[in-house]
Amino acid sequence: MSARGWVGAAVVTALVALALAGDRAAGYRFDAQDTAHALEAPSRAHWLGCDALGRDLLARLCEGGRVSLVVAVGATGLALLLGLSYGALSGWVGGRLDAVLMRGVDVVYALPDVLVTVLLIEILSAALSGLPDLWRRLAALALALGFSGFVGVARLVRALVLQAREEVWVEAARATGAPAARILVRQVLPNVAAPLFVSAAFRIPAAILSESTLSFIGLGIQPPFSSWGTLANDGFEAMRSFPHLIIFPCVAILCALLGFHLLGEGLRERLEARPSR
Amino acid sequence: MTRYALGRILAGIPVLWLVATVTFLLLRFLPGGPFDKERVLPPEIMRNLAHRYRLEGTLGEQYVDYLERLARGDLGPSYKYVGRDVADILRDSVPVSLELGAAAFALTVVGGIGLGLAAGARRDSRVDRAISLGSLVGVSAPSFVVGAGGILLFGLALRWLPAGLWEGPLYAVLPACTLAALPTAYATQLTRAQVAAVMDQDYVRTARALGVRESRVRRRHVLRNALLAVMTYFGPLLAILLTGSFVVERIFAVPGMGRFFVTAVTNRDYPLVLGVTLVYAALVVVANLAVDLLYAWLDPRIRVGRGEP
Amino acid sequence: MRGLALAALFAVACSRGASRAPARQLRINLETEPPTLDWNLATDGVSIVAIEQLMRGLTRLGPDLAPEPDLAEHWDVSPDGRTYTFHLRQGVNWSDGVPLVAQHFVDSWQRLLAPATAAEYAYFLFGVRGARAYNAGKLGDFGAVGVHAPDDRTLVVELDAPLVYFPALVNFMVTFPLRRDLVERFGDRWTEPGNLVTLGPFVLAEWRHEYRLVLTANEHYWAGRPPLDRITAYMVQEGSTALVLFEQGLLDLVRIPPLEIRRYAERPEYLRRPLLRGYYYGFNVRKPPFDDVRVRRAFALAIDRAQFPGLLRGGEVPAASWIPAGMPFANAELGLPFDPERARALLREAGVDPAQLAPVKIVYNSDQTNKLVAEKVQAFWRDGLGVRVEVENREWKVYLRELSTDPPAVFRLGWGADFPDPDNFLNLFTSYSENNHTGWANPDYDALVERAAREPDTAERQRLYDRAQRILCEEDVPMVPLFDTSANFAVSPRVHGFVPSAMDLFFFEKVSAE
Repeated sequence: MSARGWVGAAVVTALVALALAGDRAAGYRFDAQDTAHALEAPSRAHWLGCDALGRDLLARLCEGGRVSLVVAVGATGLALLLGLSYGALSGWVGGRLDAVLMRGVDVVYALPDVLVTVLLIEILSAALSGLPDLWRRLAALALALGFSGFVGVARLVRALVLQAREEVWVEAARATGAPAARILVRQVLPNVAAPLFVSAAFRIPAAILSESTLSFIGLGIQPPFSSWGTLANDGFEAMRSFPHLIIFPCVAILCALLGFHLLGEGLRERLEARPSR
Repeated sequence: MTRYALGRILAGIPVLWLVATVTFLLLRFLPGGPFDKERVLPPEIMRNLAHRYRLEGTLGEQYVDYLERLARGDLGPSYKYVGRDVADILRDSVPVSLELGAAAFALTVVGGIGLGLAAGARRDSRVDRAISLGSLVGVSAPSFVVGAGGILLFGLALRWLPAGLWEGPLYAVLPACTLAALPTAYATQLTRAQVAAVMDQDYVRTARALGVRESRVRRRHVLRNALLAVMTYFGPLLAILLTGSFVVERIFAVPGMGRFFVTAVTNRDYPLVLGVTLVYAALVVVANLAVDLLYAWLDPRIRVGRGEP
Repeated sequence: MRGLALAALFAVACSRGASRAPARQLRINLETEPPTLDWNLATDGVSIVAIEQLMRGLTRLGPDLAPEPDLAEHWDVSPDGRTYTFHLRQGVNWSDGVPLVAQHFVDSWQRLLAPATAAEYAYFLFGVRGARAYNAGKLGDFGAVGVHAPDDRTLVVELDAPLVYFPALVNFMVTFPLRRDLVERFGDRWTEPGNLVTLGPFVLAEWRHEYRLVLTANEHYWAGRPPLDRITAYMVQEGSTALVLFEQGLLDLVRIPPLEIRRYAERPEYLRRPLLRGYYYGFNVRKPPFDDVRVRRAFALAIDRAQFPGLLRGGEVPAASWIPAGMPFANAELGLPFDPERARALLREAGVDPAQLAPVKIVYNSDQTNKLVAEKVQAFWRDGLGVRVEVENREWKVYLRELSTDPPAVFRLGWGADFPDPDNFLNLFTSYSENNHTGWANPDYDALVERAAREPDTAERQRLYDRAQRILCEEDVPMVPLFDTSANFAVSPRVHGFVPSAMDLFFFEKVSAE
């Protein structure tokens, strides 16, 4: 993998480590209020400063990173799962089913994805009301973003499956009467795996982007929990007086996305350079 | 060609109908009615409101009523904006979004292709590395980051550009640039990759070896193929510009339709949600058609017969 | 390179030009599109800003919030306090030249109360005889409702019971007169520019929806043409963007976002106005542990209201009693103080062990201020009482639904004055009020509030309200007032005469701009 790819991998690893550590990495709890230090600029006691309730910004960022990553990975996982099933089914079976399923894809593409995501979030939040607040929000976001994003994966998988179906060894396997499932898993899946992996590496930052944008306008993660988007929104309201509140979340988002993009590019170069067998 | 175009237009209509139906159904599962206020209303008033806004009857009855009015071009009254029809609301706001979107689109195409060409043609030079890095940062920056930066730098520090509103051409600069930032970066990457790939292809090298002039080589082969590849991005680009506008319009107070994607849902303004979705779907269908036609025109190889989409 | 420099110069030149402020014109921020300019149908604080410049009513409120004559030159009350006779001013014309007559008020009130109109504020006039029945569709003929215009200059109103505050009540926009002929002619579009006819200091010149509203001076206004030529009201939702526009000189009047207030505190452009608007936390008295009055008192005693001003910095005034400071009959000495010792003792007395108690849930609607307050109160109860507290937020509409059907154990709400009388605040918590989400009912309290509404003697009324507030804020404590809010503005130095009222109303009639 290229040097850039390794840089990306390093950034992503650091991110995951920070996310696993959460606010322990900062030494403060993310919800510990300290009104005496409210809105303080970066200092020795609080490396990135404090927010309006005196909560340490570094702790909030680490915790926020955890939240953002969980949502992004969940959404991507769901999108991959759904897209894989949908696309494989459509591509493998073909014919009328394929036509219907692809018409469905057309319809989804014609829907504004923001609107659908917001709708799904509202519906799911109400439906999942039994769960504690944070989990409910995380689940609703991940599910909504996953559902909104699976069609792209479906298209990709379908194209790959179609391509694989034409390959000689697959035809041979079908001719010998092997069950479809085995063919799919043994012969087709390896072809699909690499591009899917690359796709995942690019979907995760896209999900982080979507989630932080939604949280920025107040529809994503709800307080007192935070994601990078909510932190950026808090910062935006006070960006003239307390720029540190917006600068650090934005830098965090930038770094995370950059890391994933670099990693994705590195993976793509590596995996797609191989012959398609 | 004409038959192809007509066929595609007709194929778009069932899509629109499906879109309307799906959105209609999704909306009915939303919690909360559209008339909750800080002060609770006496029940007789609630009844009056249900009648006025046609919230009575079963789901099926409401759906049929909705389709009937749609066929007449009546998108119904808005729930939140008393006395205004959805059609009026959209008539005011859609042109603004289209203007903003067109400006951002132009920036993306010109900027993306231009930068991509510059980078791809001079691979591994300093120019290429700078542009590649810039485009990498560009696809990693959410629009609110770019917007906040733009306001702070060009609005406050330099006082060059107004931080919001839509009073003249100058007011469009910051919002359009913010909206176009990520797509331009992505288009740059696409173009650069395509240019690099094409430059590597045998026939370009052959042409060069045969002594055909550098500039003609670039123009004819590289540009056209790069363009074709980037055009596959135009469909999603329109979608991104239209839906991405909701954050930009909010930050810069631009009176477009982007904000309705969000506010209509959270306000449970059902007719407006349906109206906005339909307009968006129609634009997507038209845009895809335009791209397909453009593609067919530019690349004669795919004009005849349509196989798999 | 040269092209870039030229473009930059051009940009600078253009922007300089754009920010030169036009004389006698005011540019304000409405923050969001007014849902309607129809004063029978409007219910919110944004619509009212525009409506108050376009229209006037029978009375207006003076600087001390007492009702003053406006369209009504003077009024008489019958001895039993049930009949008001308003005598209209002469020489008042609508902007299309038609003179104002009393029948216009009758028409307006009929439209407000008509079932077909579905006006959400119809209940505002339910004190008028027959109004409630008419709105329910039980009375076919509006003639049976107690409002008549015996001649062009006289309006007679008959009430079900004497309401001392009635003249103040008719300052509110839903009671403004109306031109029925125009409403019938234009239907739902009667408030569009070109159709709308008004009689206030300004007229509607342009309304570009979701973007800006333009009002121009009414040359024939009965009290004299206002100094301003033109008011442009933009609708910029992001408070930060509006503030930047203000600093760029593109707006003259904006509200300052909470966290920016500190930076403005010392500057001459800063203007703060305490409002008749209260912020409180309510308990659902049916849900344990808040079914025990001692527990409620304990939780109230554990809140240190003095910290809210420093936290929110918006000029919040800590309030332990419910009638807001500045409203007649307010009494700042009532209410429970901050006393964590006594709070803990009360909990022990009630047999509640904080460690064993299930987590208490505070629910609020999403908002920067609400979030800060909730997290602060959570800390108070956690540190002062040793109780576990969870904080949850909801979308506004979902929140309201929850309040009506199954109120959370602890919830937050605000209440702004529709008219400056304590009845507006205290009747909120009567047992029959649809806005009382605490589930608390106290017949003594109900009786006190009802008697006070009819009591003409000021001293006696004060005594009654003090007693009622004692029950509400010290004894039964179904709710805990936290603070009264203020409005915080940044006003450009070129603007003179801007005096926002305590009801959060602006009148640009006397404002001028260089």
